[in-house]
Amino acid sequence: MIKAKNLTFSYKGTPPFVLDGISLEINSGEYVSVVGDNGCGKTTLMKLILGFLKPTNGNIETLSKKIGYVPQRSDSVSSGFPITVREMLNSYRKLLKIKDNSVVSESLDKVGLREQAGSLMGNLSGGQAQKALIARALLGSPELLILDEPSSGVDIDSQREIYALLKRLNTEQGLTIVSVEHNLNAAISNSTAIYHLHGGNGHFCTPQKYSEEYLGKGERNA
Amino acid sequence: MLSYPFMQNAFLVSIFISVLCPCIGVFLVLRRYSMIGDTLSHASLAGITIGLMYDKNPVLGAFIFTSICGALIEFLRKYFKKYTDLILSIVLALSVGTAITIISSGKLHTSADSFMFGSILTVTKTDMVMVMVLSVISVLTLVFLYHQMVYIAFDEEAAKVAGVKTGLINYVFFVLVASAISVSIRIVGVLVLSSMIALPVATALQLETGFKKTLIFSILFSMVDIMTGLIISYYLNVAPGGFTALVSVFVLIIVMAAKAIHSRAKAVSKI
Repeated sequence: MIKAKNLTFSYKGTPPFVLDGISLEINSGEYVSVVGDNGCGKTTLMKLILGFLKPTNGNIETLSKKIGYVPQRSDSVSSGFPITVREMLNSYRKLLKIKDNSVVSESLDKVGLREQAGSLMGNLSGGQAQKALIARALLGSPELLILDEPSSGVDIDSQREIYALLKRLNTEQGLTIVSVEHNLNAAISNSTAIYHLHGGNGHFCTPQKYSEEYLGKGERNA
Repeated sequence: MLSYPFMQNAFLVSIFISVLCPCIGVFLVLRRYSMIGDTLSHASLAGITIGLMYDKNPVLGAFIFTSICGALIEFLRKYFKKYTDLILSIVLALSVGTAITIISSGKLHTSADSFMFGSILTVTKTDMVMVMVLSVISVLTLVFLYHQMVYIAFDEEAAKVAGVKTGLINYVFFVLVASAISVSIRIVGVLVLSSMIALPVATALQLETGFKKTLIFSILFSMVDIMTGLIISYYLNVAPGGFTALVSVFVLIIVMAAKAIHSRAKAVSKI
């Protein structure tokens, strides 16, 4: 689904590199959590996958064109942008050129947000807003779902619901998920693999191994 | 009042202004670009003076020059990512510098004063045609790009993921801003033009409703502001631009007060 080879990136095009020659392969049906300290390049890697940034050296290829993207709850959502949940989804449906407008209700049902369809995005709780953004990402029946810190600013109950939904989408529908995570417990509980970025390089490990090797060294509160 | 041809022209142009300005304004305000509207309003003065200097239509001059300045703002945004307010100073220096140099050179065949403050008397037939053509093309473009524009304002990255060519649409957007400004300068005037773009939207935002309704209310408030301003300025014999700006502030205050009273009544009824 995603292949990167000797991927190097620097915002200025010169050293020091945020990502320094990383190679990775993410297959269909995987649920990969990208973890690491602040500033280690997690969001940069995600932007390279999405094509927002171009590699300084090396290459990265995303094999599917059907990508759903869930950003961190943006300023638009929290600052009272005058848009209802239904309007947000409906406009996105039009951008994706989906003619059938029933996909909006179906998507709302998937995240359990049908009753809030007429609410303004700015009036939703953190958890509801995040679910609305997930509903939007699911509109085009994506093959790859990319999330940037899905539990950021979300209460515990909603976090539980969101991760249960992501797990369900991964196991039942085979949706490939790549999630930038600060919530290490969620990463360990839900992922099929963890990609640990550190010092511009990264490596895969199983959630169990990550739990034993890194969290045992006191990174649980990172 | 309406028996005078100049008032008929002024009313017709005002209808176009009251539809086009809030349609553009809602995107400017929600993208936190209100001051770009103000900068481009001042930039239009340079276009007007260039048009007048070469005996060409000043509205067309304003449209072309303001479009160029809009494109320049979008271009410079990539170079001054951390100092976006600097871009406005640069464009203001370029445009106001051009306008003052031309005006002070004495090469203008007509006075540019009416464009500064707005005037009912100076709307010509050529202006009318320009205003109609620009308005119709702009509104049709907006309808065509509505969902793309909404998403670029709401979440530009999500728009990119959906395949929206955000860079191209941003340039088109600034041409639309230039169009709204050019349509409005005759009646409203350069100095208070940005209020016509931002204030009806600010008033509609007080209603805390969805995007489409906010847009519709912005147009309604804009119509109330401009028509009331036009009629009263006719009887008071003052510049319509200034008085329309005052009306728009007054309407905003009324709506804010009504909202505060409504909220208080709601809170009391809950107790």
